[in-house]
Amino acid sequence: MSDAESLDGMSTVEVRTSATAALIPTIRAVASDLAARADFDLDAISDLRMAVDEACATLVDAADPTSQLQCRFLVRPERIRVHAEVQSAKPDTVLSTDTFGWRVLQTLADEVEVLHEPASPGRPATVGIRLDKTAGDVPR
Amino acid sequence: MPEVTPLSDAAADPFGTPLPIDTTVSRPRPGAILLEVDGEIDTLTAARLATGLDAVLDAGSAEDRAVVVDLSGVTFLASSGLAVLIHGARRVTERGARLHVVAATRAVSRPITVTGADTLFDTHADRDSALAAAVAPPVAPRALLHPPRE
Repeated sequence: MSDAESLDGMSTVEVRTSATAALIPTIRAVASDLAARADFDLDAISDLRMAVDEACATLVDAADPTSQLQCRFLVRPERIRVHAEVQSAKPDTVLSTDTFGWRVLQTLADEVEVLHEPASPGRPATVGIRLDKTAGDVPR
Repeated sequence: MPEVTPLSDAAADPFGTPLPIDTTVSRPRPGAILLEVDGEIDTLTAARLATGLDAVLDAGSAEDRAVVVDLSGVTFLASSGLAVLIHGARRVTERGARLHVVAATRAVSRPITVTGADTLFDTHADRDSALAAAVAPPVAPRALLHPPRE
């Protein structure tokens, strides 16, 4: 399933901000730039920009106020995987996926997944979203 | 850690980009009310779109039944903004009309089509065709009863 584990032909870009909605425009601009450089078509660039915005906005809502928002882009020639993560506001924070925004995110990305990581010694609980987007329209 | 005040325009704008949105209301034709929007509509700014659209719909009387939202100056549209448009479209539909949206750029048209929101309101490539469609009589028999204005 996860051939993205192999590192061949992949560049990694990581953006880290305070977990505040005010800085999401910067992250979505990076997403847009990376998609354009990876030869995504114009619709796919628009979709990735919107998907990253949606994922980040969802996570900022669930984040501890002092948390950072960490957004990692794994860029391949025709595919980008995005992994965004924040420290949860509460240890049992669960992202709600029955929202309009989540349905939009599912429509925009080829694959999307929520990742909850419970607290462990020396590490607070985190909540994340992983999404995959290919360069052009894939048959559905 | 830098101090960030979420609702301050200056804080939302760390690199000098004009992120806040502007909304302008006008009445370019008899019977039509136009809301022009500029900027990026996201989770921070969608509330301003909602305020602008609600004001237009609240002001919309019988003679302002044609509502056009011109998004030509919008460079980003998130689901939070789409939700505002969909809510506005429902309000307009309740009074027996359609919401007309100018979606001239991909930044706006792509989010609208990919989410299927274009089934809930009518989209147009430019303002003139949106205004023309908005003030057009809804059905042909009614057009015979109420001829077009001179």
